[in-house]
Amino acid sequence: MANNIAAQRIQREFKEVIKSDEVAKCAIRVELVNDNYTELKGEIAGPPDTPYEGGNFVLEIKVPETYPFNPPKVRFITKIWHPNISSVTGAICLDILRDQWAAAMTLRTVLLSLQALMAAAEPDDPQDAVVAKQYKDDQEMFRLTAKHWTAKYAGGPGGNPDFEMKIRRLTDMGVEEDQARVALSSYNWDLERATEQLFS
Amino acid sequence: MSVDEDDSEMDFSEDDCGYEDYYNTAEDCDVEQIDLYKTDPEYFAFECLNVEQVERLLNESVEMLSNNLQITPSLAKMLLHNHEWGCLTITAEYRRDAGRLLVTSCVKPPVPPDTSNSSSSVGMRISCPVCVSSILWDKFSSLCCGHSFCNMCWAMHFEVQITAGISTGISCMAKGCEVLAPEDFVLTLLTKPQLRDKYQQFAFKDYVKSHPQLRFCPGPNCQVVLRSKEPKAKRAICSYCKTMFCFRCGGDYHAPTDCNTIRKWLTKCADDSETANYISAHTKDCPRCHICIEKNGGCNHMQCYNCKHDFCWMCLGDWKCHGSEYYECSRYKENPNIANESAHAQAREALKKYLHYYERWENHCKSLRLEEQTLTKIKSRINIKVMNSSGTWIDWQYLMDAAALLAKCRYTLQYTYPYAYYMEPGPRKELFEYQQAQLEAEIENLSWKIERAESTDRGELENQIDIAEKRRTTLLKDFLEV
Repeated sequence: MANNIAAQRIQREFKEVIKSDEVAKCAIRVELVNDNYTELKGEIAGPPDTPYEGGNFVLEIKVPETYPFNPPKVRFITKIWHPNISSVTGAICLDILRDQWAAAMTLRTVLLSLQALMAAAEPDDPQDAVVAKQYKDDQEMFRLTAKHWTAKYAGGPGGNPDFEMKIRRLTDMGVEEDQARVALSSYNWDLERATEQLFS
Repeated sequence: MSVDEDDSEMDFSEDDCGYEDYYNTAEDCDVEQIDLYKTDPEYFAFECLNVEQVERLLNESVEMLSNNLQITPSLAKMLLHNHEWGCLTITAEYRRDAGRLLVTSCVKPPVPPDTSNSSSSVGMRISCPVCVSSILWDKFSSLCCGHSFCNMCWAMHFEVQITAGISTGISCMAKGCEVLAPEDFVLTLLTKPQLRDKYQQFAFKDYVKSHPQLRFCPGPNCQVVLRSKEPKAKRAICSYCKTMFCFRCGGDYHAPTDCNTIRKWLTKCADDSETANYISAHTKDCPRCHICIEKNGGCNHMQCYNCKHDFCWMCLGDWKCHGSEYYECSRYKENPNIANESAHAQAREALKKYLHYYERWENHCKSLRLEEQTLTKIKSRINIKVMNSSGTWIDWQYLMDAAALLAKCRYTLQYTYPYAYYMEPGPRKELFEYQQAQLEAEIENLSWKIERAESTDRGELENQIDIAEKRRTTLLKDFLEV
């Protein structure tokens, strides 16, 4: 019964998103992953005037049996440096995906809310404490790091030779590239402290 | 005292009167209430209610408010639940600004609903925004916010919420709408009998929890609700399961310590038990004189400060067999950080202080359990005496009273330790610790006399009971603040 409503709703929403203005502007996209409408792939374009601009972020969307009475389970597949999104797992801290969910909300609302979250982080309600601390203490460092992550993982523009060089120093020592990036990002690209943390 | 009794004696417990009975007698006192408040710092007026009585009590408030304001009982219940069942404040607020009250109580939306396109004709079908099915218009319902959804979706929404344990807090399904669903709305649309029951149970719990005069008895599987007109941090006892608890915080009764302090203390004890374990693992007894030694340096060559015995920390063997060459034990190495020495010393001092209070707290807790066995023993001893025709049950009743009072005093004494731990040093603390010491002395005295009841004169024992209880009451009078 409930299952039926979920499938019915997702079918309808799927069409709604495809027809929406945002898709026309290439801001959001959804794709079906399987035939029974229980899993979808979402995509959000990084909002303009943010370190995520130019990047394309892929989301995993799982539709529970009790949808739309319970929210969909959403997480970032693309790695992202953001106070409200885990840099490790991609888990998202957003009220409408938890207790502020309402049955009348749709996938479109979720995707647009996530895009808004990317444009305006809420460091006081963090998912990733390390990122949130950097966001609060050193905005410029945060911006550069987030931009670097966008370039590296989401196909965003521009590189950062300084950051690349530091990562290479660590990979030369046998550290995995992603691991090196996380460590350096966490320590404001202080090579010494990142090395210390990785080898302690 | 030894506890090895044979089974036949242990079987003697036909009446289950435990220590708790002592407390209940306080209620039967026919002394004037005012006097009780003066003479007994722990006096607390409360009643035990069953579910029906609580429902009646709640319904009386609902009825009164709905009559006063000419509103539906369901709405009155929502308002009461949102405002700690304060009938008078709600009435006053309602008369001053009904609109604002209803909005802040999530009964009405901040902006009145748009009714321009709600013209529905018979037989018209509308699409439900939740299930996106096209359904006859008369199968739709909405709260006063005007957000309309089909009845099936409402029922499903309630089902999901109730399964998640939510009842009085179920809100509208529209995006960002915080209007709450009243009880009658939920029950009209919810058809499954099992879910209706669950909803009513959860809602009842919410109502009791929001009512400042009511407390669920914290006893396991106990349905009793206690009511007091002055909800303070005082001793409440469930008349059904005999659980004794603090009416304010619902935890174990903790006079003279207050609710916040006892919570801090219990959390600390839970957190620090690991530290205490660590310490106990890092202290060893001197293999010769058995004095307790804590290792605070890196060297494993220990010299007992008491008997000057030289031994190895690792194997506790004589140091003489540990030559200057290779030996197993030297593998254990610590890095004694000189720079942190003062901080380390400070930490040790803090720990010493904590352990001082904790040990006493634990010790009295253990004594309480041991004295529970004493009570059993007293019962069997009395039984033998009665069988041998030396006195009747009534003649020996004073022994039972003494044991019950001992438990009561020791319980209070146990809870004086967290109080003292958090006290600022000063004359007040000195007074407290003086009184605490006095109480402790009288309690140990009483315990001694009870264990040797046969050789103690009845008058002497009763005198000791009196002194111990007076000390307890004096301490509570001076330091129990509720």
